[in-house]
Amino acid sequence: MRKLTFPIGGVHPEDMKYSRGHAIEVLPLPPVVYVSVAQHLGAPAVPCVAVGDKVKTGQVVAEPGGFISAYVHSPVSGTVKTIGPRADIAGRPVTHIEIVVEGDEWMEGIDLSEDLVTEIPTDREAVLEKIKACGVVGLGGATFPTHVKLNPPKDAKAECLIVDGAECEPYLTSDHRIMVEKPDQIVVGAAIMQMVLGGCRVVIAVEENKPDAIAALDAAIGRLGYKNIEVATLKMKYPQGSEKQLINAVLGRQVKSGALPISVGAVVQNTGTVLAVYDAVQKNRPLITNVLTVTGDCISGDRMHNYLFRIGMPLSYIADYAGGVPADAAKIVSGGTMMGKPIANLDAAAIKGTPAILYLSEEVTRRKPEGSCIRCGRCSDACPMGLEPFLLNRLYKADDLAALKENAVQDCIECGCCLYSCPSFIPLLDNIRMAKAKVKKL
Amino acid sequence: MDKFLVSPPPHAHSPRTTASLMRDVIIALLPATIVAVVFYGWSLVLVLAVSVASCVLLEWAICKWLMKRPFECPEAAVVTGLLLALSLPYTTPWWVVLIGAAFAIGVVKMTFGGLGQNVFNPASAARVFLLVSFPSYLTHWEMPQRLFGADAVTGPTVLSLANEGGTQALANLSQMGWHPLFAYVGGSAGEISVLALLVGFAYLLLRRVVKIWIPLSIFVTVAAVSAVFHAIDPVTYTGPIFNLLSGGLVLGACFMATDYVTSPMTSKGGVIFGFGIGLLVMMIRYFGAYPEGVSFAILLMNMAVPLIDRWCHQPKFGREE
Repeated sequence: MRKLTFPIGGVHPEDMKYSRGHAIEVLPLPPVVYVSVAQHLGAPAVPCVAVGDKVKTGQVVAEPGGFISAYVHSPVSGTVKTIGPRADIAGRPVTHIEIVVEGDEWMEGIDLSEDLVTEIPTDREAVLEKIKACGVVGLGGATFPTHVKLNPPKDAKAECLIVDGAECEPYLTSDHRIMVEKPDQIVVGAAIMQMVLGGCRVVIAVEENKPDAIAALDAAIGRLGYKNIEVATLKMKYPQGSEKQLINAVLGRQVKSGALPISVGAVVQNTGTVLAVYDAVQKNRPLITNVLTVTGDCISGDRMHNYLFRIGMPLSYIADYAGGVPADAAKIVSGGTMMGKPIANLDAAAIKGTPAILYLSEEVTRRKPEGSCIRCGRCSDACPMGLEPFLLNRLYKADDLAALKENAVQDCIECGCCLYSCPSFIPLLDNIRMAKAKVKKL
Repeated sequence: MDKFLVSPPPHAHSPRTTASLMRDVIIALLPATIVAVVFYGWSLVLVLAVSVASCVLLEWAICKWLMKRPFECPEAAVVTGLLLALSLPYTTPWWVVLIGAAFAIGVVKMTFGGLGQNVFNPASAARVFLLVSFPSYLTHWEMPQRLFGADAVTGPTVLSLANEGGTQALANLSQMGWHPLFAYVGGSAGEISVLALLVGFAYLLLRRVVKIWIPLSIFVTVAAVSAVFHAIDPVTYTGPIFNLLSGGLVLGACFMATDYVTSPMTSKGGVIFGFGIGLLVMMIRYFGAYPEGVSFAILLMNMAVPLIDRWCHQPKFGREE
């Protein structure tokens, strides 16, 4: 079978997916959870409960604060203790709703059974409303509200829904595990999205290092018998899970600079999101759980885990449950090595899109001192957007904003391939990010 | 939490570093170096030792006392030293080698700002500097004693024969022990075995240290130009096989023209760069006063690199028509 990939740039870091064989484990509830109102891209949600209120699992605790925003639900049952600022993983104050856990009593009408519901609803608006009401956001990294993304402008026609199962980031295995363990649910979720998008083709794109996931999805598609849904095998290359690169790999089309994927007829949804849509539409279950990977180069395989967590659990609680922070961890990252967010505050609460707790040793993660550019061109070769990072770096240092714009600095997707590849450890991406911010202000 | 690092992604790095890339170039030069040492013996070891040691020591000294900054990548200086030694005859006196190394590092590399900043390839520039300063040491070669018994024989290079007397002069070359792929007698030390150079270059390609475009473009251009001229007048003009395999072409094309610092950033630029070098090499060989033109051609095209880079950009995602 032909394996697909994107044509420009990319790098091949070792995949490091040692936790791929670990089945998803359900984390027990902590005594207290802290539910952030900013778990999505866009306006923060507005709390709609008061201190002292009793809440049930799955009850709305914050409502959308704008068009691009999302509902937030209580992940536990208990009593609202405080509502106020608390540090997120970067240490920035964000409003959190503190809930003291008292049992786990779910809202009425939520189907907690494992029975597969295969019948696809036909009322598009009702499905979108349900997705919105359940607070579903993109779990591939951007946490963009899913009901907005599934509702493209009237004049645009979706030709293909691409389900992103690439999971190209090193170390991460949560998507891999859900594809292996819940392939039926993912296929049903994809079929629901297919209906919402007007019956387009669906391609579930998975990298070749997950043959068991590919087989499981193939079998599920055969079992369920939906039309026009297929699995595509991708070559291993980072950043294949990036929206534009994935569309290029699967459809051979390039989204023009500044345009949305729908301009080439594509909609991309992460596997985790598809599962969340299944849960929302078929089970009436709001997005209060997700799977994260506890992994890293400084813990052994038996200490790695794939956990089903509830939002609001402090990361330190999850880390402690998994055996504590390893002694030689120099950096803790929420995500993979290429684009994960550094964790400045391990007491921060998990949010809908928390992908991993990754422990990295000093040796792997400490940046080496910056050397001289030897013009090897590896940054340009690696850039999946076809940019010239060495040039952008030079233009940033010269503060030449017009030339930066001309050389498409705003096209940078911040995948990190340039800095990863630079043999002289020049902080290309750091400087390009700052250049982007300056150009944006023009 | 204060003991943990907090820095933006990416959080890991490719194992490739400038030093490791340069180490790969050194490894790639080893086959040719070893073959040359076997052929030429201790005299070449002296040339190699003087060249490499003076390049490294001089760069270290300039970094320490003049530029007052760390000596960043000694491996790069080793590469310059090796390339310079391999582009000289094994009979070059040690003090001439020393002057060449001092010019390569002191003038060509460090005055422009050191690693990554030089316009010209240091080894090529030093070779040309020595060629015009000490022509007698660089254009006439002694046949190595190992091959020809007791008496050392002094003779011209095959290219200077061709330059002076056309293809007729080459007729008796095979009797002199000339074989294109291996025992190429009379030339720079590194030119002794085209095969060894190509093996080294294949290693660089396999390790993805360099791309094939620059050397390929040089070889194709040299072959095409000499094929045309040879077809027109086979007596005056030497043919493609001879031109591809003789002189410093393989050494220059595979190891000097591919120098990161002094070659274009894009593959497209590399093709233009290689075309320019190939064309200039043939013009110098056919019509120039010097028998050999690879170093000159590389230096001339080095000057064009900023222009080529300005013109050649790689295709940008979603911006091509």
